[in-house]
Formats: sequence, structure tokens, C-alpha cells
Amino acid sequence: MWSLILNRILVAVPTLLLVTLFVFALQRLLPGDPLLTMAGEERDPAVLEHLRHLYGFDRPLPVQFVIWLREVAAGNFGASLRTGEPVLKLIGQTLPVTVQLATASILIAMLIGIPMGVLSAVRKGSWVDYLANIISLTGLSIPHFWLGIILILVVSVELQWLPASGYASVFDDPVRALQTTIMPAFVLGSGLAATLMRHTRSAMLEVLGLDYIRTARAKGLLPRAVILKHAFRNALVPIVTLSTLLFGQLLAGAVLTEQVFTIPGFGKLIVDAVFNRDYGVVQGVVLCTAIAFIGLNLFADVLYILTNPRMRS
Amino acid sequence: MMAEATPLLDVESLSIRFGPSAPALVDNLSFSLKPGETLCLVGESGCGKSLTALALMGLLPTRAQPSGRARFEGRDLLTLPARQMQDLRGDRMAMIFQEPMTSLNPAFRIGDQIGESIVRHRGASRSEARKLALDMLRKVRIPAAEKRLDAYPHQLSGGMRQRIMIAVALVNEPDLLIADEPTTALDVTIQAQILALMRELQRAAGMAMILVTHDLGVVAEVADRVAVMYAGRIVETGTARDLFDDPQHPYTLGLIGSLPSLGRREGRLATIPGSVPPPDRFPAGCRFATRCPFADARCWTETPPLTGIGAAGHRAACFKAPIEANAGGLAA
Repeated sequence: MWSLILNRILVAVPTLLLVTLFVFALQRLLPGDPLLTMAGEERDPAVLEHLRHLYGFDRPLPVQFVIWLREVAAGNFGASLRTGEPVLKLIGQTLPVTVQLATASILIAMLIGIPMGVLSAVRKGSWVDYLANIISLTGLSIPHFWLGIILILVVSVELQWLPASGYASVFDDPVRALQTTIMPAFVLGSGLAATLMRHTRSAMLEVLGLDYIRTARAKGLLPRAVILKHAFRNALVPIVTLSTLLFGQLLAGAVLTEQVFTIPGFGKLIVDAVFNRDYGVVQGVVLCTAIAFIGLNLFADVLYILTNPRMRS
Repeated sequence: MMAEATPLLDVESLSIRFGPSAPALVDNLSFSLKPGETLCLVGESGCGKSLTALALMGLLPTRAQPSGRARFEGRDLLTLPARQMQDLRGDRMAMIFQEPMTSLNPAFRIGDQIGESIVRHRGASRSEARKLALDMLRKVRIPAAEKRLDAYPHQLSGGMRQRIMIAVALVNEPDLLIADEPTTALDVTIQAQILALMRELQRAAGMAMILVTHDLGVVAEVADRVAVMYAGRIVETGTARDLFDDPQHPYTLGLIGSLPSLGRREGRLATIPGSVPPPDRFPAGCRFATRCPFADARCWTETPPLTGIGAAGHRAACFKAPIEANAGGLAA
């Protein structure tokens, strides 16, 4: 297992290089110059020239990239072109917000999706199965932002049960955190629940047809033990892997939902930075997301090994 | 030995269909088993022997529709409520399967998989179950049993895994063991060891056994009585001696004729021409008629009943039996 982890870390280095290079190049291809706004109304060529030199934009692109890499390697991610705040500080402010939202979302998805998947596999072809399928298709088909807006209209505006927007950390104010997180988490979780349900169902169906399930029944075990212990324990392996990967998606993919609920998260940071051509912020955020993704993939692999005795030895 | 009058298992007219209009894949099967006795169900793959075994255990797929009766210790296994069947399974009756490589759960330790059955049926504590599981591992001669208790299935060979399956099945000392081709997937040398082990444990416990096999060598080794099945029906039954010394059904004759023997080889091994027809093309009469060298018009339209011939309990389902008298020697 340790050799796997080491191996992954070694492979991660070129991956990260490629990702950052790609984003660096794409950004510079975009039209628009962040310095134009900084130079003020007059756009004095001398001022522009001075700014270019100050930020190093007058140097060849490959040189700029290498300089950026060198600084990042030394722990300096630079500062926002717009606000002058350090990129690491911006990430440090927004990442926990999104992690909290993503955690709540994946929990909701697992709480809904996994039991529904197990139930529909065990009762395959019955009305429970059909109902679960309909619910999951609905969950997959409804656009997140639309569901978010409807929820705000009904739950916040009409019923006034929950706040429509805002954020509180679960460590500072758990009640308020729950109030502000539950709706966006449900919006994100409902779509993922559908995915999880489908995968749980097919994993369970596959396992339930295997020889060792027949052995478990031949022992006279009660159906509950056969399903929850013998079958689910084995179906869990792909489910855990999938959940981890879905969590990774949530970190970068909650953009729309964060906008709808005006949550000051990672997604909002990326979108704003892209619109403002805030090169340093975009680069830092992308690097951060890529590291998180690679880390979660590795985590999924480790979990797979831990839940699978055959892989351990 | 108990009295002849009280069989441990009494199967009467067992039929199994998949769908009401589908042909019976097991058709009107009747046999009985005394305590401690070994019955071999013999036939080629697809003849319904495994289905029969699964029906007795209540493990048929849900689409299967069994009918008839199968009385085990006074209760009909085919109509027993699910919960009572679960109480019987793994306790009074147990089963070993063909595929040791896939029959154990890869996620749990060997000791837990054996102990689970003890906890379920004996209400034993986990530590008691562990101790009993260890005893059982020693009984099935797993080397370094103590260490194996905490092993996972993938760490063991096929032969070892089948020993574990035997341990799982026998841990609650059942009255009836159903073994479905328990040695088919194993190497020949391991086969003999596993058979010998099963025989030994069976004798020690006085347990009855139904052994499903297509291997006549296995039959000769362990069977008290044999039922030869063809296309879902018993075509001949009797003691192992009856069948090997004086086979009366043309199918049994063909099976025995196709066994290689020691000594001088004379010509090619005999084979039975053709193959088993698919269920929807079974003849209306004797299902072996399509391949039988002796078949005549009556065989195609009328089902021959199992009738006694020669020794007590030796019965064959063939109009031509006894074959020497009716068919006038071997057909050309």
C-alpha cells in the first residue's frame, strides 16, 4: 500500500505541471487585459508600461510560467491583481466553506442514495424498485440551480423556515450552519443521490447473484443478515470509491449552487477570478483543486484496499 | 440404525418448472433416504440433479415452481414457511457446493464464516463460536488451524476452501448433508482426499448424505444407493452394486460403458450417441428415446414407469427391462 501511495505522489507531479501549464496557456489566450482596469480611465501608455513591467507581464510567457512555478514551489502563490490579497489567504477563506457544503451534500446523497439502492436491488421488479427509479431519474433530471431557486421561493420566501442565503461555519455556530447549509446541500445531494442509488443498485444486484450469497442462505442466515452483512459489505467497495470521487467533483462543481445561495465558497472565487482575469488567483485555485482531486483519488484507492481483504496482502 | 419404516427424507413426485406451461425440468421425482445412508444422484449436466438439491434446501431461484412433497423429519420442505426453513438450513440440513473458489465470502475471515452458523443456530457467544470453529477446522484437517481462523478465503487453495465449506456445513452436526458436485472443481488427487474426508466425517456423525455427481468413480466409492437421472427423471435406481453389476436402463448401460477401465484397451471407449434434447423438445414418452438404440414406437409416446426388476429396490424406467430378455442382446 505504501508503494502505491509513493507511486501516486510521483505520478502527481507531472499531472499537476500539465494542469497548471494548460490553465496558464488558456488564460493568456482569453481576450482582455487585467491591467487596463488598473491603469485607470486615461490608460496612459507610460503607466500601462510601468504596470506590465511591475507584474512581469512584459516578459515572454514561458519565462512568466517558470517564475510562477518557482514562486509556488517556495510557497508564494502571489496576490490577487484586483484586491492585492494573497491568493493563499483567499483560498483559505473560501475552501472551508465549500468543504462544509460538499461534506453535507455527500452525506445527504449517501443517506438517500445507498438505502434506496439496496432496497430497489433486493425488491427488484417490485413497485419499490420502480418508485426508486422514478425518484432517481427525477433527481438526475432536475437542474440544480432551478431546484435551488424553487426551494428558496417555497421554503425561505413563502414558508420562511430557512434563510435563503448566507454561510456560517459549523465550528462557530452549528445551528446557523445547519440552517444555511441544509438547502444547498440538499440541492447538490439530490442529484448525487440518484447516481449513488443507481450504482448501489447494480453493485448489490451483482453481489446478490454470487455463490457466497447462496452459501450464506444455505447456512440458514436470516435475509437481513444475508443482505446487510454478506451482500452489502461487498457491494460497499465500489460505493465508497464512487462517493469519494463525487466529493471531489463537489469541491469544484458547486459553482452554480453557490451562486444561487450566495455562498462565499470556492466556486464563487473561481468564477469571479476568471471574469476579472485575475491570473494569480485562477492559477492558485486550479492548482489547489487539482491537488484535492489527486488526493481524493488516492484516498479512494486506499479505501478500496482497506475494504478489500484480497488487496491487502 | 433406525427402523426401515421411518426415512429421514421422503421425496414424492417432486417436479420443478420455470413457468406454468414450461416443461418440467425435474419431473415426478420420488426417492427416500434413511438416516446415515448415502444416495448418489447421477447424470450429465442439465439433468436436474442440482435443481433437485436446491429445491430440498429451499434455495431455488424465485422463478422456479416446485411441486410435490419432500418430507424431512416429518415436515414438508416444499411448503414449510420461509422462517422455519431458515431454521432448518445450516442446522438440521446443510449443503456443500461445487465451486469452492467462489462459495466463501471474500470479505470475512474463515473463522467468522464458520462461527456465524453456530451463533445463528446455537445462540453461542462469539468466543464459544470461535472455539467450535477451531475444532471444526481441525476436524477437516486444515493445517495450522489456529492461524487459518483469521485467514481470508483468497489466502487458501481450492482444496482448502472446500474443506472450509465442509466445516461450515457440518459445524452444527446436521442430519442430512447435500453435496452438489463437491469435488468436480478440484484436482484429481485433492478429489480423493476430500471424498475420503467426507466419508469419514459422515460415518462419525451418522449423517445421511445426498451426493450429486456426474462421476461414476465417485459413485462407486461412496454410494449406498444410486439414482440415475436423465432429463429430469430418475431412469434407474438401486444399490451401487445393482447398478454396476447389472445395469438395466439403456442410459445406465451407456454411462457404465463409457467408463475407461484398467487392463487391456480394446477399441474405442463407448459413447452415448447424440445429446440431451433441450427441454422444449423432450419426447412425449421416454425422454431417452431420442438416443436409445432399443427405442420403438411405444417408447416415444408412453412414459415408462419405474418398475422393480431383479434385486429388491432395483428399479428401472424402461419398457425393455430386463434388457437381456426383451432386447435380445445388444442392438447392432
